[in-house]
Amino acid sequence: MRYENSITSGVSILTIKEQALDASVAQDLKETLATYAQRAKGAFVVDLSHVEFLDSTALGALVSVLKVLGGASELYLCNLRPQVLSVFSLTRLDRVFKIVPTVGSAIQALSG
Amino acid sequence: MEDTAIRFENSPQDIKRQILNHLRYSLGKTPDEASIGDIYAALAYCMRDRLMDRMLATRARFREARAKRLSYLSLEFLIGPSLGRNMLALGIRQACEEAVKAFGVNLNDVEAQEADPALGNGGLGRLAACFLESLATLNMPGYGYGIHYDYGLFRQEIRNGYQIEKPDQWALTAAPLQMQRLDRAVLVPLYGRIEHFKDRWEGYNPSWMDWQVVIGVPYDIPSCGHGGHTVNYLRLFTAQPSKDFDIKVFNQGDYFAAMEQKIDTEKISKILYPSDSIQSGKELRLTQEYFLVACALRDIVRNHLDSYDDISDFAEKNAIQLNDTHPSLAITELMRILVDEQWMDWEPAWDITKNTFAYTNHTLLPEALETWSAGLLAHLLPRHMQIIEEINRRFLEEAITLYPDDLQRLARLSIFEEGNDKQVRMANLAIVGSHSVNGVSALHTELIKTRLLPDFFDMWPDKFNAKTNGITPRRWLQKANPGLTALLEQHIGLDFLADMEKISAILPLAQDAAFVEDFLKVKRGNKVKILPLLQDKAMIKADPDAIFDIQAKRIHEYKRQLLNILGIMADYLALVEDGEYPASPFVALFAGKAAPGYTTAKKIIKMIHCMADVINNDKRTRGAIRVGFVPDFRVSIAEGLVAAADLSEQISTAGYEASGTGNMKFAANGALTIGTLDGANIEIEEKVGGENLYIFGLDAQQVADMCAQKTYRPREISDQNPELARVMDALKSDRFCPGEPGLLEWAWHYLYNENDPYLHLADFASYCKTRRRARADYADQEGWANKAICNVARMGWFSSDRTIKEYASQIWKIAPVTGLNGE
Repeated sequence: MRYENSITSGVSILTIKEQALDASVAQDLKETLATYAQRAKGAFVVDLSHVEFLDSTALGALVSVLKVLGGASELYLCNLRPQVLSVFSLTRLDRVFKIVPTVGSAIQALSG
Repeated sequence: MEDTAIRFENSPQDIKRQILNHLRYSLGKTPDEASIGDIYAALAYCMRDRLMDRMLATRARFREARAKRLSYLSLEFLIGPSLGRNMLALGIRQACEEAVKAFGVNLNDVEAQEADPALGNGGLGRLAACFLESLATLNMPGYGYGIHYDYGLFRQEIRNGYQIEKPDQWALTAAPLQMQRLDRAVLVPLYGRIEHFKDRWEGYNPSWMDWQVVIGVPYDIPSCGHGGHTVNYLRLFTAQPSKDFDIKVFNQGDYFAAMEQKIDTEKISKILYPSDSIQSGKELRLTQEYFLVACALRDIVRNHLDSYDDISDFAEKNAIQLNDTHPSLAITELMRILVDEQWMDWEPAWDITKNTFAYTNHTLLPEALETWSAGLLAHLLPRHMQIIEEINRRFLEEAITLYPDDLQRLARLSIFEEGNDKQVRMANLAIVGSHSVNGVSALHTELIKTRLLPDFFDMWPDKFNAKTNGITPRRWLQKANPGLTALLEQHIGLDFLADMEKISAILPLAQDAAFVEDFLKVKRGNKVKILPLLQDKAMIKADPDAIFDIQAKRIHEYKRQLLNILGIMADYLALVEDGEYPASPFVALFAGKAAPGYTTAKKIIKMIHCMADVINNDKRTRGAIRVGFVPDFRVSIAEGLVAAADLSEQISTAGYEASGTGNMKFAANGALTIGTLDGANIEIEEKVGGENLYIFGLDAQQVADMCAQKTYRPREISDQNPELARVMDALKSDRFCPGEPGLLEWAWHYLYNENDPYLHLADFASYCKTRRRARADYADQEGWANKAICNVARMGWFSSDRTIKEYASQIWKIAPVTGLNGE
C-alpha cells in the first residue's frame, strides 16, 4: 500500500495514496495503521483524499485498529470523498470514528 | 446552464436527414449498406433525441415547481414496443412514414424490427406500464423503478403441442430505446454481519460489516405522454461487479476468480422470474427484490437531497407505490437510510416512512402471499432483519393494546410467522409500513377486507381502499386499433384519447345504420389483418366472418382455460354426434404462456393442441369450428388480438381474479365479454349494461360457500348433464388424443376431483348455455354491433388516466404540473 507520512503543527498525518482500499491492501493497511498509531501514541490523522473506493474488508482493517487503540484513541479521518463517506454512514461507523472535513480541522481538534 | 430547447423539426425531410446522420454517426453505415434493422435503429435514435429534449424540459419544469414526485416500484414493467407508440404520442407517424420511404422500406416493416421487451409476466407488469404512460399524459411527476433484466420473460415456442421456453434477448436491440446513466450508478451492499459497537457517546451502535458490494447502473427509458408535453422515465438498474475489485483480481492474474465474481453479480439482473403467482423461494429472487429497492431508494433519496437539503420533509415531496409485496423491503431500506445514515430518531423516521409508502395488493390466493425465510433474509440483509424485528416489536405493542386477550390474532398480525423455519410475511410488512393498502377492483378490495386480511382491516379500516385498474387508450385503442380510432375520429374527433370518458359521444351512433356498417367493416378488417398470424403461427385458416372467440392471458388453473376447452369439446361432439351446428361459426383462439415449472398449465397447453388437431382435421367441422393457439403471447400480439376479437373470455372462478385488464382491453375494442362475476368484470357489467355482455356461473359468495360446505360433487353434476358426461368420457377414451393414448386422462381425474378449488364443472352448464346464446346473437350482425358499440362507448371509465387520478388525489397527493398558465 502506498502512503506518505508527515507532521504538521506537531500532529502526525498519514496520507493514503491508494485509489482503492479493498481486500488486496486491507492487511497492509491494518499493519501500517497499527505501526503508525504506536509511533504517534494514538493521536494522528488519516487523510483519505486519494481514496475513491473503500470496501468492507478495508473498513474492517480500520475498525480493528480502532479497537486496538481503545476508547482513548485520537484517530481522526479526514478528506473523505462522498462515496467513501457513504460507506461509513451505511455501517453507522461515522458514529464511531472521528470524521472531520479537512486536515486543518483535524489538527485543530487535536491541538485544542 | 439550463438548456431546455426543443431542437428537432418534424417534417419528413428533417426526419430523413436525421436518419442519415444516425446511420452514419451512431451506426457507422452508409444508406447503401443499411439493412432494415439499421433503418429501425436510426429512426429509433431520432425518436430518442426528441424524447430526450422533452425529458430535460419536463425535468426543469417539475424542479421549478418543486413538485412532489411519485416513484412506482415494480419488479415488472411490461412496456411492449416503444417506437410506434412514441411516434403516435408525438404526432409524427405520418412524417416518419414518408421519411423511411426514401430508404425503400415501409414503416410497418421498420416497426416490426423492434424487440418487444417482455420485462413482466402479465397483468401486474402491464399495469405498471399503462400507469407510467398515464402519469406522463396527465403531466404528473411519476417515475418507474425496475430491473434491467438481460432476459425478459421467455419466448414461447410450441413443438408437438408442448411449450418450449427460449431465451428472450431483448437487450441486444434495446440500445436506441434507452440511455445508460453511469453518473447515477449506486453501490448496493449484500450479506455480511452485524457488529455490536458502541458509538462515541456510549450508545448501542449496530454496524453492518463484511458486506459484498454490487454496483447498480441505471438505464433510462423515456416514458412519453400523449402529445409529448411531458416525458418522464422508467429507470431500470442492471447489476455489475465493483470495477475496482475486478481490476485488482485481474492484475493478480486470477482471471477465473474475477469472472466468477462477475458472473455471480450479474446474475442478479440476468433474468425475470417467469411466474406470476407461484413463489419460488429462491435466494436470487430475494436478492433481486433488494437490489431494486436499494438502487431505487438511493436514487430517490439522492434526488431529494439534491433539491431540498433537508430529509425531514421527504414524505411531503415523495410518494412511493409498492406494486405488490415484491419491493416491500423498501420500507426497511428507507428506515435504514433515515435512522442509520441520516441519524434520525426512530419515531420521526417511522412517520416519514409510513407517510411515504402505499401498497397495492394483487392477489386473493393466500398461497401467493409472499413470505421469506427469516434465516435467509438475515443472511442476505442482517441489518434489515434487525429493523424488521424492531418494526414488528413496536407494531405488536400497539396491537396488543387493541387485542390484549387475542393471542391468535396477534400471531396472525405479526410480521413473522413462527415455526421451525420462521418466515417473514411481506404483505404484513407492507401493510404495517404503508399509509394506504389498495385492491385493484371493487370486489377484490372487499375480499381483501373480509377474507384475505380481515385482522388488518379491523385494526386500520381507513387504510384500505379500492383502485380499479385501467388501461391506456393510447396503447390499447390508438396503437392497437388504428381502424377503429380513425372511424371514431371521423365522428367525434380524437379528444377521447386524452379524456376517454368522451368516447361516450358515439353512443347515439349505435343506432346509426351507416356507422354500424362502418364499425362492422373495421372489425372485419382487424380480423383479416391477423389471418396471416393465425395461418403462420396457429396453423389455422380462419374465416373472418366467424366469431373470433379469444382467451388470451397467462395459463392458470383459476383462469379456467380448461372450462373453455370443455365447452369447445362439447360443441364439437354436438356437431359430429348429434349434427347440431353452432348458431354461428366460431374460431376459438387461445394465447398465453405457462410458467416453466407449472406442470398443469403446461399440460393445458398440450391439451388445447390435441383438441385443435382433432377438431381442425375433422372435415365435418369445416365452416363451423376452428381452434387455434397463438404462440408467444406478448404486447404486440395482444394488440392484434384485442382489435380482432368478437367474444372475450373472462371466465375465472369468481373470487380468484383480482381485477384483470385483458377484459378491459377487449371490451374497449368492441368485443363482448363472456365472463363470471369476478374482478373488474363486475364493474364492466355495471358500466356497459348487463344486456351488452354475457355473465354466467357462480358468484364469489356461492363459490366460497360451496368450498366451505364441501358441496361440490363433480360426478353428480356430470351424471345429471349428458353433454358433460359425454365430454368426460371422451377425455377418458382418448378421443382427443388418438395417437397418444392416456395423454389426457389426467384431466379426467383432475376435473372429477371434489377438491378442485376452481369448480370447473359447477359452471359448465351455464357457460355452454350462455356462450351458445352469444353465438345466436352474433347471427344478427346489426344487433351484435349495437352491443359492441355500447361496449366501446361505455368503457371510458376504465382508462388508466382515471385510475391514476384516483391514486394521485387520494393516495399520493401529487398534482399535474403543466407549466401552462403558471400551473
